[in-house]
Amino acid sequence: MDASSGKMFYDAFTSAGCFNVGRMNESVIRALDEAADKYDMGSVGFSSIPKIELTKLLANLAPGDLNNVILCASGGDACACAMKLARAATGRNEIITMFKAYHGHEGFSLSGNGKDYYKHLFEPLMPGFKLAPFNDLQAVRKIASKETAAIIIEPVQGEAGIYVSAPDFIKGLRELCNNLGILLILDEVQTGFGRTGKLWASEHFGVLPDIMFIAKSLSGGLYPNAAVIFREDGLAAQYVAKNPLFHRSFSGGSDLGCMVSIRVLDFVIKNRLWENSADMGNYFKAGLIKLWNENPRIIKEVRGLGLMIGIEYQYEFVGALMSECLSRQGIWAIFSGNAPQVMRFQVPLTVTRKEIDDILDKIRLAVKSLRKYLLVLLPLSHIKFIRRMLDNVHIQIITFNLTRDIEEFFTETLNLKKV
Amino acid sequence: MQEHIRQEHVFVEDDRNGVYITDITGTRFIDCYSSASTYNLGRRNELLIASLKEAIFKTDQGNFPMISEQKALLAKRICEFVPGPTECVLYGVTRGESIDAACKLARGATGRPELVTVDGGYYGDTGFALSLSEHPLKSDFGELIPDIIVVPFGDYEAAESAISQNTAAFIFEPVQAENHCRTVETGYIKHIRTICDKTSTCLIFDESQTGLGRTGKKFAFERFGIYPDILVIGEAMTGGIFPMTAIAFTTKLKQFFDIHPLIHLSTFAGHDVGCMIAIAALDEYEKLSPWENAAEKGTKIMNELSPLISSDHRIKYLTGLGLLISITFESSELADRFCLHAKNNGILLCNGIVDDKCCLLRPSFLITEEETGFIIKALRPALSEL
Repeated sequence: MDASSGKMFYDAFTSAGCFNVGRMNESVIRALDEAADKYDMGSVGFSSIPKIELTKLLANLAPGDLNNVILCASGGDACACAMKLARAATGRNEIITMFKAYHGHEGFSLSGNGKDYYKHLFEPLMPGFKLAPFNDLQAVRKIASKETAAIIIEPVQGEAGIYVSAPDFIKGLRELCNNLGILLILDEVQTGFGRTGKLWASEHFGVLPDIMFIAKSLSGGLYPNAAVIFREDGLAAQYVAKNPLFHRSFSGGSDLGCMVSIRVLDFVIKNRLWENSADMGNYFKAGLIKLWNENPRIIKEVRGLGLMIGIEYQYEFVGALMSECLSRQGIWAIFSGNAPQVMRFQVPLTVTRKEIDDILDKIRLAVKSLRKYLLVLLPLSHIKFIRRMLDNVHIQIITFNLTRDIEEFFTETLNLKKV
Repeated sequence: MQEHIRQEHVFVEDDRNGVYITDITGTRFIDCYSSASTYNLGRRNELLIASLKEAIFKTDQGNFPMISEQKALLAKRICEFVPGPTECVLYGVTRGESIDAACKLARGATGRPELVTVDGGYYGDTGFALSLSEHPLKSDFGELIPDIIVVPFGDYEAAESAISQNTAAFIFEPVQAENHCRTVETGYIKHIRTICDKTSTCLIFDESQTGLGRTGKKFAFERFGIYPDILVIGEAMTGGIFPMTAIAFTTKLKQFFDIHPLIHLSTFAGHDVGCMIAIAALDEYEKLSPWENAAEKGTKIMNELSPLISSDHRIKYLTGLGLLISITFESSELADRFCLHAKNNGILLCNGIVDDKCCLLRPSFLITEEETGFIIKALRPALSEL
């Protein structure tokens, strides 16, 4: 709900997939309420029943022999932990990430970010990071060597604009890592917990990573938590056995957070949310593809896996404009951080068919109003400097705010006259 | 070190209440660790637990790229709470992430690459924080953030020659908690402030452990009579009920974020539930002024332990401010043994991350006369049994 207007919105962004179990999930709130009768955050370095129970549960749920767990505080913190683990375990320095990849904003994850905007004003960052185009195995092969500690990918790139990993790409990476002694790390921060139609996105490809890290939905959108999970045999496990406190997360893996995460996982499992995600994802995608066919001049592509769906527009500036049109229809959705021409839809996995129908109706109405804007803007966008202005986020924000202020002014004036 | 690690790992925390924690076997201890200075207001502070319970029925995480009433109210509260010109706020989840945010802000706002710090510091385990820290395993993690200059602690000339027109920030802990509570004379930090002013360098104070009253003042920087440009506030901001940290910084530095919106993001930072708890915690800090008790009880512990320590040649020194106290031994083995003996006598404490020859005492500020007496009484045999 918008606090200033009281208007209700569908949350189609869910803070990039934090609310897989829905907003204000009653069962998860109850779990935290009960846990607060006994626990607080606990102490960094100490063990506790909630920590033990959650790590056991994660070890059981994680694929293959990924049975060792380190609890962390956030996606970025977990990424830092995973990168440190890979460097320390292999004794190598280089890390390969993908163009437009997004793993967080602290020093390690930022060094591996695939977009210059987030990095260039904070340089120099850590040496040893190399970038390759996503889904281009040949390019990765060219830069990978026995100096490489890890290759990190998101099985479905989120901020990059919802790009699904090609099965051959991810399988090829596994083989390459095996041959060169590189650790394969999967960032399942957005894709985990059923988001893509399987509990973990790696299951779609039948590929086992050496390390995976998770965050966002582990928290139920209620209490921050994150984790790094790695194989019980191998270099990573050997290093951690010798240096159990190599990465202190302080507020990460807190006792209250673990009790929340346990309930979140129970809810996901009990309701088999990945199945609903697959079903509703297909239904939603079919609806969006229909919309694409009706609007080929506006929409370039619809793609995704499960309930992680992206619409790519023909023009970059349409991203922000469509966010505006959607918000007027009561849908909160935003474009990808590293690809403004792609709108992401990551609704809660508890969504019903009726709600999807309603969301699709609203998107249709939003596209209708978008068309009106485009009548004016499309011809203008052919002029170079206007196009640059249209693509500029600052100008977009100022324009939308100004429009709303003017509308508000007139509405208030009219109301006053009526009174 | 190994013994200490084992000790931490076998400790399974169960009930906790005020200054006490109970392990899984039912043995009760006074918590003098406080999860590295997080539980300033005691374990499971009743008022803060009540605020958590209230908040979760009203709101959840919110939307991280968007403002909310809770985020705005807490930012206002922090600015009222922190003395000096730091009038803007950016939230984090852990102390390390907030250090990283502070370093990025300094580099971004000044357009300069160099970060200067002193030796023996510990700022956290994330990228920038680790690069600045003296961490025992640091060399395992490969090439870290470049352009970091480490100068000897308290050395006026070294700092003066290191800080230049190329320096983005000078990063400093008023008390190096993890390094036997080493602290500097006021003149040194005043001198640093002057150099920073001359060169337009940001002065960053990491008050993750010293802030919110642990040294006997609301913030340790008040002892020096100067203000930082960026202040890092640790998890004690929510009294250990919610993972949340923050940086407070000047309006001038905020211009960087105005020009470059959404350049530093964090999904869990500025969590609406966390904001509500932090507001309640800051109100409680203000109401109780617990730093006064921290100063009083800290002095009492120091005074009582001092004669014991000066008569024992295996103990190098007793240092600290307020309720941030370090007993430093001749070897890490002695420190480990002392931790173990203290535990057997009902006191839970840990050694420092940078200097593992020191054992740190950092209990809740709400500790009573009686509990303080118990700590002193329990540490006496722990020392003599060594």
